[in-house]
Parts: sequence; C-alpha cells; structure tokens
Amino acid sequence: MKAVAGWIAGFCSILAFVGAANGRDIPKPPEYGKVIIGNFSNRAGLAAVRFDHWLHRAFYTCRLCHVDIGFAMEANATKIDAETNIKGFYCGSCHNGIRVQGDRKIFASCSLSRTKEEDTRCSRCHSVGKNVRKEYNYTSFTEKLPKENLGNLIDWQEAESRELIRPVDFLPGISIARLPLDVQKDFRIKSKGWMPNVTFSHKEHALWNGCELCHPDIFASVKKGTVKYSMFQISGGQYCGLCHDRVAFPLYECQKCHTNPMSR
Amino acid sequence: MKMFAMIVAIMFSSGTLFTGMPIAQIESFGAKVAQEDWKREFDNICSKTQDAMEFSAGELRNLIARCDALKPRIERLDEPQRKVTLKRLQMCRDLYVYLLEAKENQ
Repeated sequence: MKAVAGWIAGFCSILAFVGAANGRDIPKPPEYGKVIIGNFSNRAGLAAVRFDHWLHRAFYTCRLCHVDIGFAMEANATKIDAETNIKGFYCGSCHNGIRVQGDRKIFASCSLSRTKEEDTRCSRCHSVGKNVRKEYNYTSFTEKLPKENLGNLIDWQEAESRELIRPVDFLPGISIARLPLDVQKDFRIKSKGWMPNVTFSHKEHALWNGCELCHPDIFASVKKGTVKYSMFQISGGQYCGLCHDRVAFPLYECQKCHTNPMSR
Repeated sequence: MKMFAMIVAIMFSSGTLFTGMPIAQIESFGAKVAQEDWKREFDNICSKTQDAMEFSAGELRNLIARCDALKPRIERLDEPQRKVTLKRLQMCRDLYVYLLEAKENQ
C-alpha cells in the first residue's frame, strides 16, 4: 500500500517536472492564485491590481467573496470599478475604511480624488509593475502555517483544523443568515485505468464554498455516472480544474484526491 | 365645515396632508419600504440554499417561481446594486433548478 502511494507521488512529481519542462508555468508559492485585475485601471491612470488569494483566503471563505459579494470565478469578468467599490460593493464590501479584520481596520478602496495620500493607498492594490511594500509579507505570514508540497506550499485545510486560520463566512450587511450546512456524505468517483479512485469530500468542499459556487455552473445536474471527467478537461480548467491548479492545491498532487485504491 | 375644508386646503398646500409629514418624505418613505420589501424577499429566498437539498420538488418549484417573480423588481434597482443582486439571485435560482433536476434524475 505504502509502495503504491509512493509510486503515485513519484509519478506526479515527474508530471510536475515534465509540465515545467514543457513550458507550463509553475508559479512561485507567493504567486500561486495571484489574479491581475485591470479592466479600468489604465484608463484611470493606475497600475493594474494584484490580488493575492493566499492572503484573502486566510481570512475569508471562498463562498463569502464568490457568492455573497458576487466576484466572478474568472479573472476580470466582474468588471470592478472605483465607483462600485466606493458604493460598498465588490472590494468596497470590506475595503471601506470601517470594516475590521482581527484588530486591524481594513483600508478603504481608492476614492475618486487623487491626493498623494490617496495615491499611496491606491498603490496597495494597484501594484502591478510597482515596488510596493505590502502590509502582509508572504514569508512571515505563512511561516507558522502547515506546509504541503506545491501551490502556495500551505495546507489550508490543516491550517483551519488547527485554528491557525479562521476564515470568516458572514459579512454583516451583505451576507444572508443561513442555517448551518447539513453536509452530504463523501462519495467515490471511479478512476479509469491504474489510478486509485477519487474520494470526494462534500464536507471539505462545501464548508468553504457553499453549494451554489459549484452547482450548477461547474458541476451541472446529471444522472450519476453518466458524465466522465477526464484529466485533460480538468487540466484545461474545467470541473475540479477551475479551482485546483489555480487557487486550491494543484493537480500535480494526485494523491490528495486519488486516495481510494480499495475495491474498484 | 368651512373651517375643516380650510384646514385640509392648508395642509394640502403645505404638502403635509393627513400624516403631518411632507409629501416628499412620504414618497421617500414609500421607496424605502419598497426597497426593504425586495431585500426581505431576496434574503428569504436565498437563505435556503444550505438546506435546499432536503426540499421536496414542490418546495423547489415554489422557490424557483419566487426567484422569477422577484427578478423584475431587482432589475429596476440602480447600479451596481442591480448587477450584484441579479447575479446572486441567479445563483440561488440555478441551485434550486439543479437540485430539482437532480431529484428528477434520481
């Protein structure tokens, strides 16, 4: 059993190196999950925004931002502008100079005036191509978090279960009060060929994502077993690949999903 | 009688008929009530996404119909409230449709 797991891990590492050798970009840990947002920045005379998932996901659940606040799952699809933020939507839902994260007041999004003080504040997010000193540094921020092999090098689930991070799932004035999620049981997805089956944990996914983030946009309603999810589709950004390989742990960590070599 | 008519005329001309509130304030109060009304309905519909998988087909159909009834009211809101809320409402509706289809596929 251990030998099989080791062999799979080895194979996946080779895949990672092959990917790199083929020119597939494997980002550095602080860059993993980075999104460049720049629909209107140039027009406003600002640099594009660099959004770091590693920082925000430590504080907030995926569901809070992508369901309650309404950020699209695709870069630049939301079309955020300063006026929208000022009115308290999108980034402005939290970045309003009033809301607090831990013991820190969250700085306000850009205003429409352009004083020097404003420019300094704008640059905290509008930082692409600039040498901006960030309030949170990746190395020091992640120093005490449990590690894994790829992506951000952080085991986020373990970090949460050890209460090293406590992602907030409710934003007063924006989120809707809901009953706690009654999580469905895990299920097994049969793999083709020699790979172990996938054990899909509804609990691990639904607590951070809710239901509507995945259904039906990513996983449409189908009769069980009628749709085959291929790794080609997944590595092309469909199904699991919409999050894994972009923000959640990368596909090269095969053994994290293909965990069930038991009865086929 | 004449006195009463005079009082009504004065109140009407000063825009404070019946309520003692200026008519402009009554209008804005009405708009506020209407605003809270759509918000209440939106919150009520979308607060059920977490436990919707336990709902019957009838309950899901009812929620979908409520989403459809609410949509035109959301469309009348100002931007960016309109854009954000429409997307959120659509996500709720899509989930209910998904669950209904899943039930029918079983």
